[in-house]
Amino acid sequence: MKKIIHCFIVYLVLCIGISTAFSQGLAPPSNVTAVDTPNDDGSSITVKWDAAPEDSGISGYQILRRIAGGGLEEIGALLPAGTVTYVDSNIEKGSTYAYIVRAVTETEATVDSEETAPAKGTGEWFHTGKIPLFIAMIAFSIAIVMSIYQARSGEEVFIRRIPGLEAVNEAIGRATEMGRSILYVLGLGDVSGPATIASMNILGQVARRTADYETPLHVPCNDPIVMNVVREMVRTAYLNEGRPDSYNEDNIFFLTDSQFAYAAGVDGIMLREKPAAIFLQGTFFAESLILAETGNSIGAIQIAGTDSEHQLPFLITACDYTLIGEELYTASAYLSQEPMLLGSIRGQDWGKVIIFAVIMLGVILELAGVSWITTLLQRVS
Amino acid sequence: MRRQVPLILCFVFGIVMIFTQFIPHSSSQSLHQEVRQWYLIIFPFALVFSTITLIRTHITRIRRRTEHWQYSFILFVGILIMVVIGIPFGPQNPVFEWLFNNIQVPMDATMFSLLAFFIASAAYRAFRARTLEASLLLITALIVMLGNVPVGDLIWNTVFAWLPWEDSASGMKQWILDNPNLSARRGIILGISLGVISQSIRIILGIERSYLGGGD
Repeated sequence: MKKIIHCFIVYLVLCIGISTAFSQGLAPPSNVTAVDTPNDDGSSITVKWDAAPEDSGISGYQILRRIAGGGLEEIGALLPAGTVTYVDSNIEKGSTYAYIVRAVTETEATVDSEETAPAKGTGEWFHTGKIPLFIAMIAFSIAIVMSIYQARSGEEVFIRRIPGLEAVNEAIGRATEMGRSILYVLGLGDVSGPATIASMNILGQVARRTADYETPLHVPCNDPIVMNVVREMVRTAYLNEGRPDSYNEDNIFFLTDSQFAYAAGVDGIMLREKPAAIFLQGTFFAESLILAETGNSIGAIQIAGTDSEHQLPFLITACDYTLIGEELYTASAYLSQEPMLLGSIRGQDWGKVIIFAVIMLGVILELAGVSWITTLLQRVS
Repeated sequence: MRRQVPLILCFVFGIVMIFTQFIPHSSSQSLHQEVRQWYLIIFPFALVFSTITLIRTHITRIRRRTEHWQYSFILFVGILIMVVIGIPFGPQNPVFEWLFNNIQVPMDATMFSLLAFFIASAAYRAFRARTLEASLLLITALIVMLGNVPVGDLIWNTVFAWLPWEDSASGMKQWILDNPNLSARRGIILGISLGVISQSIRIILGIERSYLGGGD
């Protein structure tokens, strides 16, 4: 008797579920496909299906997965209605998976799609979505390399005057005449930061001049690796200038890696040592104005340069000269006046011309109702 | 040879790391991660070395009795306390946390709050209407400052009640931020990006050698 009642209850539940589904016209998700996610390392499979009509009554989707030779398992949370894609990132590389998309209504009635063909995650050897970026990179690199070779062949390269870099010699000369030191601040970036590398390149040039003039150069560092690299760099610069005896290792020292403690430390050095020239070159954050205003208050000539565009207004206000953005990256070439380095700046300018042309073309086409440049750029980004 | 080895390493790793950006395959990504981890291995050694230089600098200051040399003692006391508590008991230790939250954090906040006064002094110098550019800067700054506070729109609606545009102080501020300001920022960012690529090519090809101390 118990068995009959049990069977009857199961039958009743099934009937209610099926009738609810059919009464709401619930159709299973259609065109369900599972493919290896393109342009990844083979760690995911993308499941796609067609969007259900708005009045379908579907309140969400549940994804079911079957590993080859195994049973079905629910994966992930219930997806909201309107979802048409699911990326399964929790797969084992090399294993094959098949998927079912289960549509769920508000009354918790369900209907399953057909099981997809088995799919396997495979790592790609080239990111096809980055082809335009790759082409742009190659084109830009060719422009720079060609400009470098043109400059190498003896062609004169014109570089506009950059007042901030013209003032470097003036600043070092001023410090030498006043018998005071030069303070070089590399900012808060680590050794892998492009702005820190650019700053170290400028420091290399500054160190050669301070070696010549025998002017003390102080470099308080925020990053231990930067400190070690800078020590080696400055030492080599002094050696190359034939002044190894003028090099003082203790002048390049680690202060702290804490942002405001570093600012306090550098401010203290400024107020105690009263350097005649201060270089603020590299990556800066909120401490930029604290440093620049303190430097300003002691009457030092200040040359700043950063790629942190939010800090530029502060540095422009408080410093005598500021290298804005790309000027920081051209500084080393400008100071050394080496033709090959100057040639690369011309190549950089060609890159700007091309970007400007693309922007203008994009604006004109957009005004004419053609948006393929915008679409292409959106796809690349 | 001393110069060639770093240049060769720079070239090889520079090219390899660029290509890992375009190769999503797991072997390429693990190579990328592996090389990045080398940095983490170097860091602790560099930190120890840097701490030694810090201690040496302050010992020299005490020995030479330079200006404010007494503060170097405070540095040593600070280092000693944090090392004695931090190394055996770890950073989760309540005493260590208390010292951090009640000494380091307030001191950082104090330095940060100085910024408000520095902004005032810098703004005073920047906004003096001596030239046409400075005058334009002053007017723009006034609009942006007024647009950022509710009283800006109140002033606009009272003074310019006869105009058909309401709440235009905040509207003008937004227009300035979204158009001239954003255009200038994007121009700078484009220049920076090209500068970074150009610098990277110079370093990878071994043309830029200033980071090796200059010279040939």
